Amino acid sequence: MRYAFFPGCTLESAAEELMISTMKVAEALGIELIELKGWTCCGASHIQDIDDFLATSINARNIALGEKLGVSKIITVCNTCTLMLRTAKAKLDKNKKLRTRVNESLRSTGMQYKGNVEVTHLLWALIEDYGLDRLKEKVKRPLTGLKVANFYGCHILMPPKIMGFENHMNPQSMEMIAEVLGAESVKFDQRLACCGFHAVFPAEKEVMNLTGMNCLSPKASGADCLITPCPLCQMQLDAYQPDAQKGFSKDITMPVLHLPQLIGLALGFSPQELAIQRHVVDAIPVLTENVLV
Amino acid sequence: MRTIHYKIKRFDGKREWYQDYQLQYEKGKTILWALTAIREQLDPTLVFTSACRHAICGSCAIKVNGKSFLACKTSLDEVLETFKSDYLVFEPLSNFEVIKDLAIAWEPKMEKMKQVKPWLIPSNKGSVERGFIQSEDDFHEISSPTDCILCGVCTSECNQLAVNDGTYLDPFILNRAYRFSVDSRDCAPEEHIRPVYENELWKCIHCMQCISSCPKGIPLTDEIAYLRQESIKMGEVNNQGAKHAFAFYDDVRNKGRLNETMLPIKTDGLLKTATTKIPFALRMIKKGKINPFHMPKAIEGIKGVKEIYKYAEEVKHS
Repeated sequence: MRYAFFPGCTLESAAEELMISTMKVAEALGIELIELKGWTCCGASHIQDIDDFLATSINARNIALGEKLGVSKIITVCNTCTLMLRTAKAKLDKNKKLRTRVNESLRSTGMQYKGNVEVTHLLWALIEDYGLDRLKEKVKRPLTGLKVANFYGCHILMPPKIMGFENHMNPQSMEMIAEVLGAESVKFDQRLACCGFHAVFPAEKEVMNLTGMNCLSPKASGADCLITPCPLCQMQLDAYQPDAQKGFSKDITMPVLHLPQLIGLALGFSPQELAIQRHVVDAIPVLTENVLV
Repeated sequence: MRTIHYKIKRFDGKREWYQDYQLQYEKGKTILWALTAIREQLDPTLVFTSACRHAICGSCAIKVNGKSFLACKTSLDEVLETFKSDYLVFEPLSNFEVIKDLAIAWEPKMEKMKQVKPWLIPSNKGSVERGFIQSEDDFHEISSPTDCILCGVCTSECNQLAVNDGTYLDPFILNRAYRFSVDSRDCAPEEHIRPVYENELWKCIHCMQCISSCPKGIPLTDEIAYLRQESIKMGEVNNQGAKHAFAFYDDVRNKGRLNETMLPIKTDGLLKTATTKIPFALRMIKKGKINPFHMPKAIEGIKGVKEIYKYAEEVKHS
């Protein structure tokens, strides 16, 4: 299995541990990830607020980089990157006039948007391309006893017209993966909540409140850690957790792992190999207690 | 016989409780059918609002298992399939004041909506005598936003309203402002957009709930992007939201990728960053998540990216 890999900006800095764990997991599963040469930021759901034509154009370029590689899919590990690339693709595939204009814009790059690659996320690819049975065979250390809270994040589900992998009102993909890995998924109110990351500057007070609730809810359900398929949700819930704590009298402590880190643990990697020590809220004690014995 | 279990949130003005009802399953029914059957067959005291039964009046929206739906338009079978359960919880819409049971108060929302002048401010191109003629293309600009039936589903699902003090405008109000600001017969778009800007426009979190749940399929998040673009054109660039968006816009043009270290400074300025973000920065540095000395290099093909920007500028001004 080969994919064109679109890492996205956070994987180069704040979420480098997601790059490390994704590469480890892909290699162990025999998935080849070819990083796109010269990819740009997807716009992170901000650039369209200044210029939506530009937002579509830069992602047309990103997709065209993947088309040049002769693979059938571009893969990401970030919800927002996936949404931004898929939004551009949906617009370009539907609107011929827009596609002609965007291709005119790309002329200077020597590239063209053709529309012949799909954009997927690792979570989806594991289910629809790799297969859960095959993933199960690779599990070396079942995560028996580990209670995980699956926090989807908005942009892997919505809008359903653009994302549409599963029912956005009651998705099950994360639970399916957790089950294969041997972990127990807990039910919690904030499973489909918004992390607030995209407005953490202009709406800091409100977003910190969201962060606190998003940590307290899985805690009340007895979760050992929260799992997310998005590095932006991860950053909001982990790195901002000490700031969010200030608004709550109850202890909100909740370790937050990236999905590939959870998979990597079940594949037998150590927390250090998956760079779990990079998280602000230390996840290693709870992992040691439950799965690393 | 299959039984569907309904748990309905009741409220009598003082007291709140959940009440259980059961109905036999019937194929091909709607949520509104269930509400009506419960009231007619089981409990005449249950209060909910409804009228047209055809997704036109917008009065029957409620929450089912935590998600908001227009009851008359929503198939019971689809809901049972979505939640894979025969147990349904009915609650009033969120982010509204509740009057009784499932009935919510609209008056405060209508008062709030007046801020954006949700009416046409006519230009002198038209008059009562001559009429206010609009081309077909111009009509299409407003045809989708005028589909709004004020059902409140977007408000109920809005993640900003869930934590906001009430200043932020409900998505249907933003839609109203959009609808009049793009109307070719309106001569004062700024009068609709300025109040939007002044009421925390940049606090929308981009969660996509409104666009995903609108029973009329109105592209609300695209409208919010438009309102933000227009506020920038009006000169409103000196705020965290616009500065944050420009940080991304400029970084992509200059290097191709985001400079995460500089992002807070570009958004909040050096002084505010230094006074408020120091603990955050220190913990990020400690964990190796920020390297303050790392400056991203320009990507391969940055020249082409700059050309794309130039082209987009020309499109904007053409």
